[in-house]
Amino acid sequence: MVISPLRRKVLRDLRRLWAQALAIALVLAAGVATLILGNGAYASLSETRARYYGEFRFADVFADVTRAPLALMAEVRGIAGVLAAEGRIVKLALLDLPDMAEPGTILLVSLPEAGEAGLNQLYLRQGRLPDSQSADEVVVSEGFATAHRLRPGSSLAVVMNGQRRTLRLTGVVLSPEFIYALGPGELMPDPRRFGVAWLPRPGLEAAHDLEGAFSNLVLKLAPGADADRVIEAVDRLTAAYGGAGAIGRADQISHAFLDAELRQLSAMVKILPPVFLLVAAMLVNMTLSRLVTLEREQIGLLKAIGYSGRAIAQHYVEFVLAVAVVGIAIGFAAGAWLGAGLAGLYARFYAFPFLVFARDAGVYGLAALVTAGAAVAGALFAVRAVLTLPPAVAMSPPAPADYRSRMGFALQHLALRQTAVMTVRHLIRWPLRTASGIFGVAMAVAVLVASLWTFGSIERLIDLTFFQAERQDVTVAFAGAEPARAVQAVRQMPGVLLAEPYRSVAARISHRTLSRKVSITGRPAETTLSRVLSPDARPMALPDAGLVLSEALCDALAVRPGDLVTVEFLEGQRRTITLPVSGQSLGYVGLGAAMEISALNRAMHEGALISGVNLMLDKAQGPAFYAAAKAAPKTGFVIVLGRTVQRFRDTLAENITAMISVYVVLAAIIAVGVIYNFARIALSEQGRDLASLRVLGFTKAEVSGILFGELAVIVLLAQPLGWGIGHLIGLGMVTAFSSDLYRVPLVIGREVYAMASLVVCAAALASALAVRRRINRLDMIEVLKTRE
Amino acid sequence: MASKDETVFHATGLTKVYRSGAHEVQALRGVDFQARKSEFIVILGPSGSGKSTFLNIVGGLDRASGGEVWFRDHQLTALDDRGLTQYRRDHVGFVFQFYNLVPSLTARENVALVTEIARRPMSPDAALALVGLSDRRDHFPAQLSGGEQQRVAIARAIAKNPEVLLCDEPTGALDSATGIKVLEALAEVNRKVGATTLVITHNAAIRDIGDRVLRFADGRIVEETVNATKKRPAEVSW
Ligand SMILES: Nc1ncnc2c1ncn2[C@@H]1O[C@H](COP(=O)(O)OP(=O)(O)OP(=O)(O)O)[C@@H](O)[C@H]1O
Ligand SMILES: [Mg+2]
Repeated sequence: MVISPLRRKVLRDLRRLWAQALAIALVLAAGVATLILGNGAYASLSETRARYYGEFRFADVFADVTRAPLALMAEVRGIAGVLAAEGRIVKLALLDLPDMAEPGTILLVSLPEAGEAGLNQLYLRQGRLPDSQSADEVVVSEGFATAHRLRPGSSLAVVMNGQRRTLRLTGVVLSPEFIYALGPGELMPDPRRFGVAWLPRPGLEAAHDLEGAFSNLVLKLAPGADADRVIEAVDRLTAAYGGAGAIGRADQISHAFLDAELRQLSAMVKILPPVFLLVAAMLVNMTLSRLVTLEREQIGLLKAIGYSGRAIAQHYVEFVLAVAVVGIAIGFAAGAWLGAGLAGLYARFYAFPFLVFARDAGVYGLAALVTAGAAVAGALFAVRAVLTLPPAVAMSPPAPADYRSRMGFALQHLALRQTAVMTVRHLIRWPLRTASGIFGVAMAVAVLVASLWTFGSIERLIDLTFFQAERQDVTVAFAGAEPARAVQAVRQMPGVLLAEPYRSVAARISHRTLSRKVSITGRPAETTLSRVLSPDARPMALPDAGLVLSEALCDALAVRPGDLVTVEFLEGQRRTITLPVSGQSLGYVGLGAAMEISALNRAMHEGALISGVNLMLDKAQGPAFYAAAKAAPKTGFVIVLGRTVQRFRDTLAENITAMISVYVVLAAIIAVGVIYNFARIALSEQGRDLASLRVLGFTKAEVSGILFGELAVIVLLAQPLGWGIGHLIGLGMVTAFSSDLYRVPLVIGREVYAMASLVVCAAALASALAVRRRINRLDMIEVLKTRE
Repeated sequence: MASKDETVFHATGLTKVYRSGAHEVQALRGVDFQARKSEFIVILGPSGSGKSTFLNIVGGLDRASGGEVWFRDHQLTALDDRGLTQYRRDHVGFVFQFYNLVPSLTARENVALVTEIARRPMSPDAALALVGLSDRRDHFPAQLSGGEQQRVAIARAIAKNPEVLLCDEPTGALDSATGIKVLEALAEVNRKVGATTLVITHNAAIRDIGDRVLRFADGRIVEETVNATKKRPAEVSW
């Protein structure tokens, strides 16, 4: 095979410039990897979910009622657009497990009767489904089974509606309804404390006195049906039966969390890959500009002997494409590897029966195309100038670098050493490249700031939520509303130091065309345990009347304190009233609405009712208290806040640590890529001068200092810029991440900026040391023999 | 100060072999050499005869393969890289064919570059005055002619009051009139500063301005002539 001379030059250039080429390739690879990871994970997650939903008939509309006759189902099925409907019994029960002192919670769901098609079908992992005639057979969700080492044949003690029952496991299952299985009052799935169990109807009917009735409704809609219309119709039909308001998929917890995850992924894809590709294009441009300058005379010669501008441009594009191919290959591998890691995380958080791997050629193809495009764009930009030169001009050496102009002269009045003057003049001489260098390093800082802040943010979220607002050790929620004196019974339980009642009522709050379904919490005006915080994070007393809404809810409804909202209670007498918004509160989890408890009771036209009690416990008496709580017939479920915080912190710490390790590597790649290339180019331009200085008796350290001075200026100037850009990215992330489920506080402490700068400076130092070897090896004699 | 005929350089059996792969080039094949204080020595010889190699070893830029060189009581051939750097810094002024000025510094700054690290320098302005360039001190190299650049290089070389001044073809890139100016500058400096001066040249006419002339051929000094009377550069016919 005959290789054309120009192509041979490509190979030779690659060999000669391998370190710079590799640095660029790595930045490109980071772009490719994040593109593949982001797009791939997005596609994988959304396709897995879609397929799971499709195959297992995930419902479109969900509604809870107190007790509705099964006869109502005929009317429900008659609603226009409803394809299938199922009336189920869904009830919480307490878990009484030998390996857990505190009571866990299990959600019991009735299985469809034989012959019913069934929505939210189960995926059987192990064993078999319960016999429809059996009263004690049950299948449980996989996460829960794993956490407690339950297998078909194991038995499970639960307290259903105050009655203790022992159930027998026949199988382990997954359900599209509980891909993200969040227990009541929890912030993170905790499969130890919360599980889902499916059992035949008769057992549940008997325990809850629901013969011939249902407490939960799931609907599948015909394609193209208007979900809002159906929801309205369902609400009308179920109102008389204690309907708590139907919801669509968007408000179904499991689905909504997956949506939030998908939104974060798409935000990541919008931010990270462009950063890398931009930096890579800049690096290609920087490096190639220098190469082209060095080869200017050769280019002129090639043109003179008849090579077309195109052919010469193609030569440089080939060089860059070769670099891009390496970058893309590394990026593919890294992207696939990181993707597998992320899929592993998903598998732990989300209970999928399978994961559809989006090894979609499209994702890879797109990533390769975009990346190669960025590289080639950077190259053409660099080559353009030389190609337009007439051959004769190109063949003569370029005019010597002109240092006369600009602010160079101002330096004479500063008492700088001449070596420092060299440093500054060289930076000023190439303003575009200097700016690119600063920008590139700033991006590395920014990527770090934008990832490192999450630690502090989570800590603040935890502090505000659990140490300022929800300070109770335990919350005991009753199965239904109880008279206020029920608090006395709880106060009598062992270890209770302080007990404060609360009322929690499902309601729809509307303002103009906006509305949200929330639960309004009634509390005494001043509380010690569960407190409402003002926007400046101080505990606030609840007003005599009117609602205090969280900032998130105020935003969602577009209201401000002083506005009036319509409140439609979805419990009790189901009154609809108008209430003023009397205050705004701080809250990052969910949409919060609070009222003074007796005002809430009055507004509901009910007596002094409470839904549960917040407690401060004497830790030493925990087990005794938990035993009493399990035995109390009114206990619906128990939330142990200490465990919730622990779980929250552990899980997030693990995820964030994994994420931040990736980001630190990515930022280091940018920093090294930019600084190493910058240093090599500066060295290529000034190597002759530096070698001359060595001849004059300057030491290796002094000579390196001139070049390192340039790097130091770049790195220093990049810091504030990087902090600023990082802050902006953080702001964008907060916006992208916030949903009705949670918000993230943007707190970027000084330690975040310091850490980001530290990592980048370390990367800069490493690149500088790599170049130092070349400075030390500068050939003094060589530069004396040749003209520049 | 030591006496006028104090020996500054003393070299014996100096050899240099360049190895590139299997290939060997004998650049120096045993050079014996002495130079006294303030002596002005002209070095002649055909291309490839080892003149630059010799000058670079004497200037501490390169290492000999064999033999010894002494500068006063420093044995250059025994110094490590750090020691050679210190030697160049403290004692040697260089002038090269291609000037090797720093393009981002003005004439004055190029001189100041060296005076900043020298032990007993003259002021950069005084050095530029010696070579007659006071009025061009704020010009960058790109704004100066070749001869002017070379005179800046000389100013830079002498500004530290060096004990030795080593010049490798200082006029090689210049026309004759300019070359004479540069040589006059060198002769002037040699007289005023008293530096032992070694000048390599291809121009045999220049031989008359030196105290002594060495001829190199094939890696050896093959001829040594002592001039009874030195001519001034302007007097030699180019
Ligand atoms: N780095 C090197 N590697 C190999 N050979 C070298 C090297 N430097 C010089 N030489 C060889 O050593 C010999 C002497 O070279 P030197 O540069 O000292 O000659 P010169 O007398 O200065 O010649 P000129 O007048 O052309 O400058 C030559 O044959 C040259 O090819
Ligand atoms: Mg020579």
